[in-house]
Amino acid sequence: MEQIKLPGGETLFQERLANGLQVMVLPKRQFLRTFGILSVHYGSLDSKFELPGRGAVEVPPGIAHFLEHKLFEEEEGSVFDRFAAWGASVNAFTSYNQTSYFFTTIDHWRESLAYLLEFVHTPHLTEENVEKERGIIEQELRMYADYPEHRIVATLLENLYHENPVRLDIGGTVESVRSITLAELQLCYDTFYQPGNMALVVVGDVEPQAVLELVRSSCPAGGNGQAVLRVDPAEPSGIVKPWAETQLPISRPRYMLGFKHDPLWRGQELLRMQIAMTLGLRLLSGRSSQAYAQLYGEGLVDDSFSASFRGHPRFAHSLISSETDDPQALHGRLVQIIDGLKAGGVEEGEVERLKKGFYGLFLGALDSFEYTANRLTAQYFEGTPYYSYLEVLAEVTARDVQSALAEMLDWERSSVSILRPVQSHG
Amino acid sequence: MNFTQQEMGPGVRLYLCPTDKFKTLTCKVFIQQDLQPREAAQTALVPLLLRRGSQRFPTTGDIARELEDLYAADFGSDVLKIGERQILEFHFQMVDPQFLPQGQKLLRRSLETFWEIASRPYGEGGFFEPYFQQERHNLVQELEGLINDKRTYALVRCTALMCAQEPFGIYKYGDADTVRSLTAGEVYAHYQKLLAGYPLDIFVVGSQAKKAAEILAGLIQGRDGQQKLQPPQRVEVEQPRYFEENMDVQQAVLVMGYRTKLTYPDGDYYSLLVGNGLLGGFAHSKLFINVREKASLAYYVSSSLEGSKGLLTITAGISGEQKEQAVEIIQRQVRDVQEGRISAQELEQTKRGLISSMRSMQDNPSSLVDRNLIGIVHEELRSIEEVVEAIEAVTLDSVVRAMGHLQLDTTYILRPSPQKGAGHGTD
Repeated sequence: MEQIKLPGGETLFQERLANGLQVMVLPKRQFLRTFGILSVHYGSLDSKFELPGRGAVEVPPGIAHFLEHKLFEEEEGSVFDRFAAWGASVNAFTSYNQTSYFFTTIDHWRESLAYLLEFVHTPHLTEENVEKERGIIEQELRMYADYPEHRIVATLLENLYHENPVRLDIGGTVESVRSITLAELQLCYDTFYQPGNMALVVVGDVEPQAVLELVRSSCPAGGNGQAVLRVDPAEPSGIVKPWAETQLPISRPRYMLGFKHDPLWRGQELLRMQIAMTLGLRLLSGRSSQAYAQLYGEGLVDDSFSASFRGHPRFAHSLISSETDDPQALHGRLVQIIDGLKAGGVEEGEVERLKKGFYGLFLGALDSFEYTANRLTAQYFEGTPYYSYLEVLAEVTARDVQSALAEMLDWERSSVSILRPVQSHG
Repeated sequence: MNFTQQEMGPGVRLYLCPTDKFKTLTCKVFIQQDLQPREAAQTALVPLLLRRGSQRFPTTGDIARELEDLYAADFGSDVLKIGERQILEFHFQMVDPQFLPQGQKLLRRSLETFWEIASRPYGEGGFFEPYFQQERHNLVQELEGLINDKRTYALVRCTALMCAQEPFGIYKYGDADTVRSLTAGEVYAHYQKLLAGYPLDIFVVGSQAKKAAEILAGLIQGRDGQQKLQPPQRVEVEQPRYFEENMDVQQAVLVMGYRTKLTYPDGDYYSLLVGNGLLGGFAHSKLFINVREKASLAYYVSSSLEGSKGLLTITAGISGEQKEQAVEIIQRQVRDVQEGRISAQELEQTKRGLISSMRSMQDNPSSLVDRNLIGIVHEELRSIEEVVEAIEAVTLDSVVRAMGHLQLDTTYILRPSPQKGAGHGTD
């Protein structure tokens, strides 16, 4: 297996199997848990794709997430039961670009890993169990619809994007979930659940070679050998709508500002942009920033004030949000502050101190199995070289941050989403 | 991975776990008091005021810059509720000094910073009045903002209604009206009393735990530690109660609160813990299987145990029209556990699951500490090995015996307004 030294003294072992599955093992001495996560490079963005002999196919939103639910059903009963017998736990999540299945175990990693590979590779879809799942997913979607933080982002992404499926809920809509058919689920499963489109990460006190051997013997020999052909709709440069307000039963208004970017970076450049923008946005919303001190002092933001950059090969945007009594006034002040930062307000000393903080955060995060495994998976699917994070961090300068902010925070491509309270009738 | 315990002065207990397993050093300090309406609100303001500034770091920005300079050291403070105790927590985490340039120097500087922020808030002989005014307003906003998270809101409402006559009905951050009436002087006086007189427990995990404890011992001085505390109240259920609230929501939240009678100090406590697990602690539990998987009524449904006060709470997100059906299925699951309709497999899975999560705590410094909170409240810490042994010893009979005490007290539902459809936004 290929060995890669990680910062903090650990070694990553990796190998791509003949069937195309990428296997990564990170041994963690002294730890009791073993965490295994099998990810499919398939998420809510992938509702349009090409099939040999059939051309482009488009399916309703929410299929990747629906499949995630259904794979927990096996012919001989529930997947949860099998893991429970070993005292292990199992769960899954679906994001824009991946579906991941993971277990945590103390003393049954072999059984857990073998069964993880087995249940993900053996779907058991029937008309009856597909029908039954609709009610459960509908309640899941309704739960999210009542989360203000979910609603504000959903509205903002609808404002920013015309075509990119990032504008849709990962789970789809109540209507699309009702319309999804067994045949569509099967088609998407067959298309995307191919070893060549998957990655496995195991973190724990395990021997990499033993993991590799087990995976080899319990994985299907080969997939269909076809590369997945995703069709990304062309996204216009401009936004849909600069401003939207929604009423919800909440206690006070919430404000969110979003900037749409062109997702042009790959590999090391994407990582560099992620670091530069994350540093830059800290100068705006970080607790050590002048901007935060001013806005907090003026009573325009509270502890919920935050800003983040999502940079991905298929979409990129920055989101800035806070609860506030006065969304208009906050917007006006943010325009001033952001323009100030763009015009040369990035100071070298500030950036260097923030970088020291990022160094510490990176080392501390190595203790989190889940975080580390997610970074390794993203590295493989998205090509952002996680293990050179500290090198890239060291290279990023105040000037990089300055020019990233100036280029990315383009008002022409920004939009605002506001939630306002309605009086609830009780 | 257990803690060694020692007395460190009046009312101060120190627990150390030296280990080189983690890349961080973690310190947590807990100060406990009886849960009371006015004091709850006073205490809840303290964490908000501490993060505004200290004598040496007079603003939030000064604190943040110092912590960034310490390689993203993390200071945090919060308020917790365990049974009828309110706990003021200070925690501090930093990258283990062995991974940092000039680690030894940084260790002392970091811990001095920690205790500076926790114990020397900005102001002259009291909290700085402008900070106080603003944070009092923010806490009121936060309390009124409970409604933004429907699930938490429903749980808090159910608890408040069920325990209206007991201290446990008080929310951990008090209530908005009390907060509005607080003065800077009384909050400061209360905070000084907490620092000086109430039971204080310190936990340290990391490769330099001993060294860190020595430094902290030098910093935490001038205590009398005389304050005595009360045990939680026990209450008999007279008649089950039902409450309903309407709101413009997409999903109803159902909460059912049961009294358990048994609590942490009781012999059958771990049978109750297993009983709760069988009922709704896992994805193999009766509630998950029957309410979600079989009846498709919910996405989430679970039960949880508050082992200090003795409450078992079931929560489910359902469609408003399906309440009757959900309540009926839930009650049938409770009866099934109480009457022993439990397979050997279910019992074994639940015991394995609880033991795994207990042992997993040794992989995370924060969980390693927090699992002891109930122990410090009841002045009886139990090691992971003891707990694992107690769970192993649980039998079908002991589960039936423990769960037999369960009595439904309060059912609460937050649901969409009947006269209106599901809420939709307007642009």
